[in-house]
Amino acid sequence: MSDKISRRDFLKLAGVGAATTAVLTGCGPAARLVQREPYTKMPEYTYNGLSTYYATTCRECSAGCGLIARTYQGRAIKVEGNPNNPVNLGKTCARGQATLEGLYNPQRVRGPIKHSRGQSLYGSDNQNVESNMSWDDAIQVVADALSKNQPNEIAFLMGMAPDHLFDLITDLTKAINAPAPIRFGALGMFEARTTLMQAANDLLGQSGLPFFDIGNADLVFSFGANFLETWLSPVAQTRGYSSLRRRNPNQRGYFVQFEARMSQTGAKADEWIPITPGTEGLVALALGSLMVTASGASLPAAYSNVDVNSIANVSGVTLDTLKRLANMFAGSAHPLAISGGAALGQSNGLQTAEAVLTLNALVNNIGKDGGVFLSPLAPLADEYHRPASIREMDDFVAKLQSGSIKVLFVHGVNPLFELPKSIALRDAFKNVPQIVSFATFPDETAVQADYIFPDKHGLESWGYQKVAAGAGSSTLSGAQPVVSGVYTADGAVPQIFYDARATADVLLAAAQKAGGTLASALKFKDELEYIQSQLKGLLGNTDGFFSAAEINTFTAYFQQNGGWWKTSDDRVAPSASNALNKTFNATPAQFVGDGELYFVPFVEPVMAEAGANKPWLQEIPDPTTTVVWNSWVEINPDTAAQLGVDNDDVVLISSDAGSVEASVYKYPAIRPDTIAMPFGQGHTAYGQFAQGRGVNPFDLLSNATNEAGDLAFASMKVSIKKTGKKRQLSRLEGVIGVYENFGQQP
Amino acid sequence: MSAIAKALPRLRPEEMEDPKEHLMHDPMPRGDMNTMVLDSMHTATWKYWTVVTILAFIVVTCLGYAWYYLIMQGLGVSGDDRPVYWGVFLVNFVYWIGISHSGTLTSAILRVLKIESRRPFTRVAELMTAFAIVNAGLSVFMHMGRVWLAYWMIPYPNERTIWPDFHSPLMWDFMAITTYLICSSLYLFLPLIPDLAMVRDRSKGWVKTFYKILAIGFRGTEGEWKNLHLAMNIFAFAIIPVAFSVHTIVAWDFAMAIRPGWSSSVFGPYFVSGALLSGVAAVPIVLFLVRSTMKNMKYFLRPEHFDTVGKMLLIISMIWAYFYFNDYIVSWYGGDKWEKILNLFVQTGPQWWLWYLMLFCNIVVPWSILWRKKWRQTPWLMALVGILINVGMYTERYIIVPEMLTINRMPFTWHSYIPRVEIILTIGTFALFLLLYFAASRILPLIPAWEVQEGQEGHILRKIGKARIPTISEID
Amino acid sequence: MANDLNSPVKMNMSQDAQGKWGMVIDQDLCTGCQACVAACSMENNVPFVGEVDAGYGRNMQWIRIERFWSGSFPDIKMTSYQPVMCQQCHKAPCEPVCPVYASVHSESEDLNLQVYNRCIGTRYCANNCPYQARTFNWRDYQDARQRPELVTLQNHLNPDVTVRRRGVMEKCTFCIQRIRHTEDTAESENREIRDGEVVPACAQACPASAITFGRIDDPTTQVSQAAVTSRAGHLLEDLGTIPHVTYLAGGA
Repeated sequence: MSDKISRRDFLKLAGVGAATTAVLTGCGPAARLVQREPYTKMPEYTYNGLSTYYATTCRECSAGCGLIARTYQGRAIKVEGNPNNPVNLGKTCARGQATLEGLYNPQRVRGPIKHSRGQSLYGSDNQNVESNMSWDDAIQVVADALSKNQPNEIAFLMGMAPDHLFDLITDLTKAINAPAPIRFGALGMFEARTTLMQAANDLLGQSGLPFFDIGNADLVFSFGANFLETWLSPVAQTRGYSSLRRRNPNQRGYFVQFEARMSQTGAKADEWIPITPGTEGLVALALGSLMVTASGASLPAAYSNVDVNSIANVSGVTLDTLKRLANMFAGSAHPLAISGGAALGQSNGLQTAEAVLTLNALVNNIGKDGGVFLSPLAPLADEYHRPASIREMDDFVAKLQSGSIKVLFVHGVNPLFELPKSIALRDAFKNVPQIVSFATFPDETAVQADYIFPDKHGLESWGYQKVAAGAGSSTLSGAQPVVSGVYTADGAVPQIFYDARATADVLLAAAQKAGGTLASALKFKDELEYIQSQLKGLLGNTDGFFSAAEINTFTAYFQQNGGWWKTSDDRVAPSASNALNKTFNATPAQFVGDGELYFVPFVEPVMAEAGANKPWLQEIPDPTTTVVWNSWVEINPDTAAQLGVDNDDVVLISSDAGSVEASVYKYPAIRPDTIAMPFGQGHTAYGQFAQGRGVNPFDLLSNATNEAGDLAFASMKVSIKKTGKKRQLSRLEGVIGVYENFGQQP
Repeated sequence: MSAIAKALPRLRPEEMEDPKEHLMHDPMPRGDMNTMVLDSMHTATWKYWTVVTILAFIVVTCLGYAWYYLIMQGLGVSGDDRPVYWGVFLVNFVYWIGISHSGTLTSAILRVLKIESRRPFTRVAELMTAFAIVNAGLSVFMHMGRVWLAYWMIPYPNERTIWPDFHSPLMWDFMAITTYLICSSLYLFLPLIPDLAMVRDRSKGWVKTFYKILAIGFRGTEGEWKNLHLAMNIFAFAIIPVAFSVHTIVAWDFAMAIRPGWSSSVFGPYFVSGALLSGVAAVPIVLFLVRSTMKNMKYFLRPEHFDTVGKMLLIISMIWAYFYFNDYIVSWYGGDKWEKILNLFVQTGPQWWLWYLMLFCNIVVPWSILWRKKWRQTPWLMALVGILINVGMYTERYIIVPEMLTINRMPFTWHSYIPRVEIILTIGTFALFLLLYFAASRILPLIPAWEVQEGQEGHILRKIGKARIPTISEID
Repeated sequence: MANDLNSPVKMNMSQDAQGKWGMVIDQDLCTGCQACVAACSMENNVPFVGEVDAGYGRNMQWIRIERFWSGSFPDIKMTSYQPVMCQQCHKAPCEPVCPVYASVHSESEDLNLQVYNRCIGTRYCANNCPYQARTFNWRDYQDARQRPELVTLQNHLNPDVTVRRRGVMEKCTFCIQRIRHTEDTAESENREIRDGEVVPACAQACPASAITFGRIDDPTTQVSQAAVTSRAGHLLEDLGTIPHVTYLAGGA
């Protein structure tokens, strides 16, 4: 069959998939590459007054939710969830909705820029720095960097999403024998993916990201997992939560949350158990031990060292409560225990993850509906390549520090913001002669780079993303450009405002320029050709949502449907035979510093790590505190009274690693010995909406890790000092209505 | 004759009131009085022009420029928010409407009741109505989000084919205020005519032409006087219900809303009494200013007039207190959850002191000072009482509008209110009010000379033994 | 004459209306994730107002998610998240108080309509809304001349929805543009609108599927059936406004 299919052929084929096209009208019919241009040169299928819809993938986090973008005369107007994508089934989160504010953000890098490190990428008047080199020169820079350095002097640092670019760069590094690209993201660190996988590997003997089937459970014990917020795949898990509550009309699923600070997820729990930070695993062990004891069976190895009384003491959960909860868990038909969030970000995080898995094994729900599975492997994936843990990042930074890396390529991640300050990446950068950033936005890392070669925004890009979590079926989310570029209408002639180029295209072109093995290994005309070469692996596969025998047809369907996924249940049911045999030391967590307060950083649920440059996300209130546009520190009102601080007082929080100042929010649902701070603000670059707003709690963290190598981000003990300053927090809630005596609930 | 002498208290001569204290019994030849009135209009010192310049400057900047800024920027520069959608502009509106009651309503009531001591100060009071209503209108316009479309409230057949909605209390307000403005302007104008004619007869050149037009050809024939009296009588009676309705409808702006604190059936009379209280309290302030700054005014405006106003104030303050506590006790005893929260908020919330200030100014001050005749007859003290009562009444409106709006049935939205540009614009409206008075004192005779003369002719002192008994001949 | 023109019943715009609309929000499912708020802002061209104005009670979002606290530590509970938007009252207190018919009732659909270009900004409707569901354009939040950052951001404005200028009141419309669109589609296909065919932006985004939308004059629809369950209730029911948003109580 020819490379191009005719319009007639396409229409015939489209008839086959008519059921799926009800909401999807966009796909590239006659040509491989559809040009989308502003309305002065209107393509024939763009009608005035009618919208065109394109299926693509959300790039705001690495969950890989499918989107359908509504476009109108060449502009993207709105995104909705793709109802067919198994990850999100037509739903989106707030971040996904705001992705258009990234696309049309006033502070995108305007074009390839050579710049001196540290210089801002937009002026005081918020005007973006002009591009000062051509793309040809940019490609030459990349080609030189790839060909003139030794392979082991080249490093790639990438974002968390396992996408086509990761595959391409993996191929590239393989071709020249360079070290494999490292992937990292602050969210992955907060999720403790490494710990979760390590725990699964240790107890279930199989590596993979655990899949917690919340939707089919009827009792959920969550140990610190903020699964309704940013953890793994929030949209899918929220759907699961919804099903937990309403699946069975006669019995509403019950939900208990163990955490020191009530998170948005904890707020939805029927019971919120404020336990001492770092004792989550101990409580899980105690519950298991009590369950076994109550049933009269002999204690398995896992519970041999468990002293229930001392755990009750150290965790602050009474023995009665433990017994009641143990009974509840034992008596439930489909109980499920989840670990995550701050519970794993402790020195004993791996023990906690394993203790919780053991609890699941005890009720025999491993690999059963409403229990624990391993996430299905995405199509085209040989294994799940997890993002780097902090220990690996520490090693990577040490490598940069040593000066053995001559050129660093950064894409899709903002490590200077997303890594704790105690991991001295900024210093390490000084020993890297050349840093190339592919950032779309002028983030902190781009500011420290020598070259910025802006990638296109997710909605302008081709691609696919291997879904790692959330979907029950093996899923490859597909992306396609929904707009051809951002234009401003200055006068009659539209002009390109942002001259971005797909990083894959840049690398492919550079590979050709570099010549040698690189050129022959990456003989692709452009990004799409590379993607098609990968997708060829799926041709003829009949267990998918659609199938096609020929690559252009397959690509057309792939674009039209927003990806390819199996229709089967692909969750992996591991063996739990050895899960109860591991003995635990049952040690409480170790804390860093001698402050009197536990410090719990958490990801701001709406904004997360990269939402700060989108004004809508800044203005959408935090679900628990309703604060907008800034950072705050949550302190129990009693503790605040002892410290003599009130709402909006600025306090100095110091740990062994550093100190920050933030305004006080008297938060009633936090332990008096704990304070909490959101992560997401505190940018020193990243556009006018983000820069200079709030503080980054990472400045307070040391590089202490748990046993698996994930950052022990909740292991700091801090002290608080009044500064005497006051800075009013903007909140949606009326303080007098919600907190003062007049406030009686409606 | 001896029976009357016996009936009189036996007072020592020094204890006896000098009837000359009363303007009506201290007659002056008509020509001299006219000259006095004209003199007061024509005498302007450098102090006068300094004050006028300052006021004009304040009006141009605080009112003109600040309003321009407000219109161009939108109401974001004010302090309004959710849930306090109505702020100081509406406070000013209610306040100025209240002030406007002093003039026309007070004057009409006194005229109808034939209170003789009204004669020299009705004009000053009626002018207050006109000027205050200008400010009230301006305040509403400042309040509107899109003031350039304010004419959409006028019911006339138009190309938009949209008619205003007469269900809306704001439309009733619009109609009532327009009616009141027209009626009270006419009511101000009618008694002005003979005085304008007097000025016309005593001036020359273009000034004469000016007053000729204003005096609409009044020559003082018997028929003209008869018609004038008839018209004034009709207006005096007719304007009382109009004035009552105006402030009742202003109260309905609030009372018709389903909000805790506002939705109260007693709001109509309560607002009327409040309007009278602040309006009448403004009279001694203006009287004091006119008396102490303008030439010849000490003859016309005497302690007895302050005394009259003082008595009225005391009674009105009691009426106001009655209505206020009527409203308060009903809402307190009714025990509605929201009313309770609201009362608690007003009395113990962040601005609790406003409530106590209001009670102090509106009740404690008048009740402790106005019972004593000597104090009622002290002009500066009366002016002070007037100012305090106005502060109290302004506070009362502030409590009713932004304070009560803070509390609604959705506690999640309770945000408090801090006025911003409103403060400047409020200063501007007060300056405009004073400036209009200053301008009027040059153009119009502030004392209705003919009414004073008419009164003096009707009053005669008859000697009965040693006593001199004031008697009045029937005028009407 | 004038009255005829002002009655939506007699105006052409409502002749094709198909039924009355209502919404059901399950507070047990609402996780407070704010996706509805973002989706609504996106669909309806709702502006952002910046930190100072947002903290001063001038958020323009058409939905706000309320929550309260009960008890104190450690027995503290957050009340169920409660998204509050215009309740589309059958007897809406906002309507009669507008002097210029900017807040009108569609009798045929039982919706409260806000006519932006009639609004003169008296803000009486917002005072009289017991749900505080209305938001006011305190400034020209959408004017790129005053906010240069909007020059590019405005590209995503929805052409189906008017961009409001300063001094105009606005509120949730139940995504009337989507209702109209679906009505047009159904009419061109010569059929009735199916249950669940009209989906407002908030319901479409909601990851927990806590929001259901549909006809309330048809007892077979999902909303009608959810609205008669024992968990159903309305906000401030005692006021007799007969709101068309039904809340299913959380925690049960």
